[in-house]
Amino acid sequence: MTLVPVTYKGGIYQHDIVTDLIEDLGGYIVQKHVLAQEVVLQCFVPRDDIDLIREISRPLFGEVTDSPLVGTEIAIVSPSLEIHHLPHPSCDIAEYTRRLGAKSNMVGMARGVGKRIAMINDEERDVINEHDIAVFGLGNFEHCIEYKMPNLRRGIEVPIVLCGGPDKEALQKIVDPPVDGYVGNVGRFMHRTKESEELGKLDEIIAEITRVLEKRREEIAKDPLSVAPARLMNLIREKVPAINEVTSPTPLTVQMKGLRVKLPYDTFADAVRKVEIEDGITIGDVSEVLPSRMRDYILVRVKPFSETNVVV
Amino acid sequence: MLAIEYFEVECPEAKGAEYYKQIANDVLLDHNLLKVIDRLHIFIDPKVPIFVATGTLKSITSRVRVRDFANVNPQEGKMTLVISEEAYLAPMLKIFWQHFGKEHVEQPDRFTVILYDVKEDPKVIEDLIVADPSESLFKDLIYAFKCIAPEGFRLRKEKYGEGRFSFVASENTLPEDVDDLVAQKFALLGVKV
Repeated sequence: MTLVPVTYKGGIYQHDIVTDLIEDLGGYIVQKHVLAQEVVLQCFVPRDDIDLIREISRPLFGEVTDSPLVGTEIAIVSPSLEIHHLPHPSCDIAEYTRRLGAKSNMVGMARGVGKRIAMINDEERDVINEHDIAVFGLGNFEHCIEYKMPNLRRGIEVPIVLCGGPDKEALQKIVDPPVDGYVGNVGRFMHRTKESEELGKLDEIIAEITRVLEKRREEIAKDPLSVAPARLMNLIREKVPAINEVTSPTPLTVQMKGLRVKLPYDTFADAVRKVEIEDGITIGDVSEVLPSRMRDYILVRVKPFSETNVVV
Repeated sequence: MLAIEYFEVECPEAKGAEYYKQIANDVLLDHNLLKVIDRLHIFIDPKVPIFVATGTLKSITSRVRVRDFANVNPQEGKMTLVISEEAYLAPMLKIFWQHFGKEHVEQPDRFTVILYDVKEDPKVIEDLIVADPSESLFKDLIYAFKCIAPEGFRLRKEKYGEGRFSFVASENTLPEDVDDLVAQKFALLGVKV
């Protein structure tokens, strides 16, 4: 059964029919937003059953769309959190990825600015490495990007998509060693992206992120995970009730290869490790439960089949 | 962009120049500074790296008086001021308190101020100068150019006066002959320093 990420949008009336259906089909709801009279569900559903969901939700005026970014956590990295880069373009990109289902986090570097002086510290590096992909939003000058990019990417192991002012070809030429994705003509600017041309650029960024993530998904599929992270999400919600008291928008953030649990590590790590998945296999058996560098959260990294020899 | 008579961004990278022209325009527009700048030349060289902005200013004579944003209605024993724009309300109240004392000034709501037992002629009150925007212009200009300049450029040198200004920034120590460079850029605007 292949699970595909989709977004369901529909009225709040009788939307529990859809949520029950998704769960009965073996899918997972990753995020649920209730906005006035509307419900937005970001979920993984079996590929063959999408038409069935469409069929059943038609009387409720529900709409099912593909959203390849559901179940991913993206780091939007900007050289600083100053007015030069925020709210445009960094927040525009972050917001756009969020609309398509991703959980995006802004990472503002302490000393990422300038040319000679640009650098990344260990905390920033580790936080970025906890994500599925890092989108770097740099400036307008070829010369600067060429000079500072080797410093900024030091130690980063996740795929990088680089956005910068110069053309895509120019970016590809200057960045050595190459990164995974490039989007040209999106450097620093000081106005909101609202014209169709600019929105087209945001779409281009999404397309590039999707392409890089697809590649990563294929790699993961070669050595599948011992358990689907979305499944762990439901289990933790059931067995560690403290998660329901957490007020952050996504107390459990699903990633491609794991899960971020927004509970203090010292208090809850053991409880998470001991959660039983099936037949006596616990989360601790099939994954690493690590302290996250983001606050005192817990990071669950699911091990691949080749390490555990079980798939649950 | 029309309000500025001459507006150029000079940079070895053509694309960078184009983007910075847009950034400068956006920032100056947001900060409401396009109407005070007459001519502007920006020079950026990311290789050095250095950012130089030189410009001339339009003469600003517009002092803000009470009549510009309030209607004064004399009544028996009191004077009612109806405020149309709140921006200068605070400095105006401060001046009234100094002139007439707090017990004679009342503000029942956001858009109304009442003066009690004031002997002054309503015309005199209308003519009171409340604020002089040119005083804070230098600060506003520097703030705007800090936003325009590339972010790492934190070593700065600014000059302001005689109807012109210059702003130089870099991430390295500024070269000693930076004044010559500024003079060259002023020459492009037709100004001799």
